[in-house]
Amino acid sequence: MKKNRSGGSHSWKKDLRLLPGYLILTLWVVFTFVLIGWVFAASFATTREIFKGEALSFPSGLHFENYVKAWTSQNVSVFFANSLAYASISSILLILICAPAAYVLSRFKFFLNHPIQSGFVAAMGVPMVMIILPLFGIVTQMQLLKQDVTVRLLMIVLYVGINVPYTTIFLLAFFSNLSSTYEEAAAIDGCPPMRIFWKIMLPLAQPGIVTVSIFNFINIWNEYFMSLIFANNDRVKPVAVGLYSMIDSMKYTGDWAGMFAAVIIVFLPTFIIYLFLSEKIIAGITAGGIKG
Amino acid sequence: MKRNKTMIIVFLTPALVLFCAIFVYPILRTIVMSLFKVENITSGIAQWQYVGFQNYKSLATTSLFKTSLLNLLRIWAIGGMVVMSLGLLFAVILNSGIRFKNFFRAVIYMPNIISAVALATMWIQFVYNPRFGLLTSTFKLLGMDSLAAINWTDTTHKFWALLFAYCFGMVGYHMLIFSSGIEKIPQELFEASTIDGASKVQQFRLITFPLLRSVLKTNITMWSITSVAFFVWSQLFSMVTADTQTITPMVYMYLQVFGAGNVISERNAGLGAAVGVFLGLCVVIVFVLTNRLIKNEDLEF
Repeated sequence: MKKNRSGGSHSWKKDLRLLPGYLILTLWVVFTFVLIGWVFAASFATTREIFKGEALSFPSGLHFENYVKAWTSQNVSVFFANSLAYASISSILLILICAPAAYVLSRFKFFLNHPIQSGFVAAMGVPMVMIILPLFGIVTQMQLLKQDVTVRLLMIVLYVGINVPYTTIFLLAFFSNLSSTYEEAAAIDGCPPMRIFWKIMLPLAQPGIVTVSIFNFINIWNEYFMSLIFANNDRVKPVAVGLYSMIDSMKYTGDWAGMFAAVIIVFLPTFIIYLFLSEKIIAGITAGGIKG
Repeated sequence: MKRNKTMIIVFLTPALVLFCAIFVYPILRTIVMSLFKVENITSGIAQWQYVGFQNYKSLATTSLFKTSLLNLLRIWAIGGMVVMSLGLLFAVILNSGIRFKNFFRAVIYMPNIISAVALATMWIQFVYNPRFGLLTSTFKLLGMDSLAAINWTDTTHKFWALLFAYCFGMVGYHMLIFSSGIEKIPQELFEASTIDGASKVQQFRLITFPLLRSVLKTNITMWSITSVAFFVWSQLFSMVTADTQTITPMVYMYLQVFGAGNVISERNAGLGAAVGVFLGLCVVIVFVLTNRLIKNEDLEF
């Protein structure tokens, strides 16, 4: 008992010693909350109230119609649906393509194994400017930017393609850590190797697959440069580029409240994912970062 | 064994095909393209006109490109120092035994998961807004009228406003990398040095920092890769096409190849390719240099 109490007073002293640290972090965190909180509040106010500095007091109540307006008249619903489709389809395809590749690279020795791994690692550092021009040239030559359907398919292929190296390397580290006793046992029972992968190894890798899929989803949701170049009309644009063209047009309409509502609509999906999965995301970053 | 061979081929082919189509072939074609005059980006190789290193030479004499390069250098060097210092500071504080560590860490990292367009809009339209913005109203409240009158996104302040906002978003990621490095340092080292009478500052200088070298390397590499791709923030901070305050090489390339009119001196996608190759080389050089300068001491924990 006595020991505990002295431990308690010690930790009080310790907290006091750490006070500068607490202050710095708290300041930063408060600023983050003010930044997002104010924009959130402003998305429920009217443009006039925002300009009068009354965004936080809501003199005329909450204006949900900002969201309705942004969602319907400003095309946000289309951008949102596009991003949702691009991000989720690409994330699933990435697992179907990269998990088998990562598994083979982690389990078998063959002469191209090491070069492929190094190539993938190097590709993670390749700036987009190095690849965008030929891609654009080829795609226009193939007349793929003329129809909405082909643009959509192209976007998915590109999103999958640029994330192949990262996803494969991430999953590779994960498969390497799985014990091979499972496969040996299954092989003795006469299960063919490809079946072993789909039935046993893939389910075992589930935690890694979930983490990397969250990353892929967030990255694709927020991707900007490629969409700017390839998604050339409002019907196929994802949210990031769509939001940019909305802000651009807002200069003429002056609907600040609607713009803040659109910002929140773009912000919410990844924020909600983060709210529930921040621990998993942070663990994934640190695991991946150390390797790189 | 034969079975394994088919499995290797079947499992690897889709990923490899995509990798070659999206990375290997375009990179090679960009390098070749940078040596040619390419009037129309969609034209086939047959219509390209070989000019040797002329594209690189003409970039070296284009003042707008040089401005963009200087901006990138400032973002990389100044922003890098700010982000690395703050990231390291936060990581050290997080691992000094404070309460609510996970909460602080999660909030500081959060800007990284927000779309850059949304985050930049929050800064421009709220923090820096000259009419109802956070800075203006705070300074008004404090009675500092001269500061309150500043328009933070005008030509003289734009670059620093942009850099500050960008750094705010980037600190979280680099903090996490530093933090994971600190977590790996065995606790006994700190305990032993405390017994020997080392102060917190001495511990940081003599234990923490030297042991974070490989992590620092990772951080510098990642920072360089993201800096080179600096684009969205520039575009949002200057809606006009070519703004000397915020232009970066990537923006220059975009304007040169895809942009509308006013900055393009000549129609030549080869110039854009040369910008790409140049930026790629920058990343490689930084990577090699950091590996040379910061030696790993291969300590095993």
